[in-house]
Amino acid sequence: MTIAVLLKQVPDTTSKISVSGGRVDESAVSKWSMSPYDEYALESALQLKESGGGDVVAITCGPARAAKMLTDAAAVGADSLLHVLVEDLNALDSTQVQAILAAAVSHCSAQVVFCGKQAADTNAGSTGPGVAHLMGASCVTMVSEVASEGDSFTAMRASSGGDQRVAVSAPCLFAFDKGTTELRRPNVRGIMMAKKKVAETLGASDLGVDTSASSVSVDSHSPPPEKPPGQRFEGVDSVAVVVSKLRDEANVI
Amino acid sequence: MAYEALDFYDIDSLLSDEERMVRDMVRDWVDEKVIPNIEEACRDGVFPDEWRVDLGEMGILGAPLKGYGCPGLSYIAYGLICQELERGDSGVRSFASVQGSLAMYPIWDFGSEEQKNHYLPRMATGEWVGCFGLTEPDYGSNPGDMITRAEDKGDHYLLNGAKMWITNGTIADLAVVWAKLDGVIRGFIVEKGDPGFTAPEMTGKHSLKASVTSELVFQDCRIPKDRILPDVKGLKGPFSCLNNARFGISWGAVGAAQSCFNSAKEYALSRIQFDHPIASFQLVQNKLAWMLREITKAQLLAYHLGQKKDDGTWIPEHISLAKMNNVDIALEIARMARDIHGANGILDEYPVMRHMANLESVKTYEGTHDIHNLILGRHITGIQAFTREFTE
Ligand SMILES: Cc1cc2nc3c(=O)[nH]c(=O)nc-3n(C[C@H](O)[C@H](O)[C@H](O)COP(=O)(O)OP(=O)(O)OC[C@H]3O[C@@H](n4cnc5c(N)ncnc54)[C@H](O)[C@@H]3O)c2cc1C
Repeated sequence: MTIAVLLKQVPDTTSKISVSGGRVDESAVSKWSMSPYDEYALESALQLKESGGGDVVAITCGPARAAKMLTDAAAVGADSLLHVLVEDLNALDSTQVQAILAAAVSHCSAQVVFCGKQAADTNAGSTGPGVAHLMGASCVTMVSEVASEGDSFTAMRASSGGDQRVAVSAPCLFAFDKGTTELRRPNVRGIMMAKKKVAETLGASDLGVDTSASSVSVDSHSPPPEKPPGQRFEGVDSVAVVVSKLRDEANVI
Repeated sequence: MAYEALDFYDIDSLLSDEERMVRDMVRDWVDEKVIPNIEEACRDGVFPDEWRVDLGEMGILGAPLKGYGCPGLSYIAYGLICQELERGDSGVRSFASVQGSLAMYPIWDFGSEEQKNHYLPRMATGEWVGCFGLTEPDYGSNPGDMITRAEDKGDHYLLNGAKMWITNGTIADLAVVWAKLDGVIRGFIVEKGDPGFTAPEMTGKHSLKASVTSELVFQDCRIPKDRILPDVKGLKGPFSCLNNARFGISWGAVGAAQSCFNSAKEYALSRIQFDHPIASFQLVQNKLAWMLREITKAQLLAYHLGQKKDDGTWIPEHISLAKMNNVDIALEIARMARDIHGANGILDEYPVMRHMANLESVKTYEGTHDIHNLILGRHITGIQAFTREFTE
């Protein structure tokens, strides 16, 4: 069994994001990381491989810098790596990215796909379901855990009425919420092995995907409005004012 | 906020992917495991056993050694490991230095094939902890005059004497002990539980509080004949171990200095006095600029020395210069950072005073600051000034 894990490199959640000329300034991002939900997907895939056999192929669609993230995935145990090189991911619309990833999954002959429920940069959440649609695969979202028995899989997912256990069979795609275990730390042996795992690098056109006409154009990015400064009250006299503000403005009492 | 290491001259761009990945692995571990727990470990005066397990699992113990289950990394990678560990705390770096450079290294270089196969794989995983017994109560800077003796009793060796200031001593499963056999310094492997061997812990330290420091006492301690390191005689044995550990310290000191610099910079930007952030005053900026300058120089020294270690073109004096300089500036930076923090600088909420106190030990062990000056003085002039007796 081959499990394909879809990984996206995003600005680290602790990095400062600055906007210049109506665009997020990517050159100012100090640290790029694997999107956190993707980390859960990767860890779960590695665990499934350890319990049930098979291999894990890590797939990313992104610019050259994303190669580092694939090597990181190799260091914790991904068996092979596929990099679909797209220099400007922002120039593509979601359906194009989904088409690239679905083609990449099929290129790896994978019937089972793990990914994050959304990427930490766009938070769009469309990739998993979109790829599943193109694959004609069952799609389970908000997943925390996956177990397999032969060709069938059971997934735990959050739902409004509590946890749900869902059974599906391949082809299938699982989009992960926070999983049960955080991504393992690499070790020196894994890092040395990662050196030997060279990523296969393809362009979108090698996969037969046309990326010429994006149906969406982004006008501009803007930073979130700055938080208004806090208010400060001193002395007993201010109690009445504070109470009225808490009741009428903040609606907390 | 993610830790952003000061790297003014972009040393990062000189590293291989593998070196960077190892560095990031250790950096993340220090952020996650060491920094949140270090103050408690210092207060309790313990080296948390969990850290031993983690260091073994990461596979970084004995980093530059090859074979026998050892990692086989470059010396630059080893340096980066030390840098990140010591950014957390000098005590954590000390644990790794002693295990890798002072206990594993002599077995790896001077041990028999049986000794290597027996000890090294278990030491690389952290299952067995080692220590290094050279210093004695009366012989620190001049270990050549050590008192500890070994006698050949036919079917065993008998050790008598005492070592002091031994890092990891009490928690160690084995000690590499330097003792005189027929007047010649030789290395012996003493195991926990050997008859006549005890390792009481030393207490009352104001420095390296999260590192275990011990005495090693040998009273008619019997060890089997196959525990002598066969391939080295004289001070060359312990000194070649020290070369590797000192190399690691020259990188480690940079880590401690980076930690102090970051804390001082952030504090200076947020602390308002006379209506302005103290970072806006020229005297404070002068201090920060000095720190930046010295850290950058120390990084370049460490990096170039790493290259020389990797290509084999180094001499011990190169290491003396880097150990002496980098610890010296790190200690000065820690003191300056403490000053910038004002009264807050003495609290355990900030890392600066802990680093400062740690670095006082680091300045003294592995050859005191001035002993390295004497090593360099001898190199420059050809005249040794350690002793008035010209016996060399
Ligand atoms: C926390 C800690 C951990 C340690 N861990 C270990 C360990 O694991 N294994 C081990 O073997 N040792 C260890 N040591 C011991 C350390 O290596 C010694 O303390 C060091 O070598 C200095 O020896 P000393 O303390 O006896 O000082 P001394 O040698 O007595 O020196 C005192 C002062 O005199 C100066 N001095 C000495 N000789 C001269 C000279 N000829 N000319 C000018 N100045 C001179 C020194 O520079 C120093 O300033 C540790 C020490 C500490 C503090």
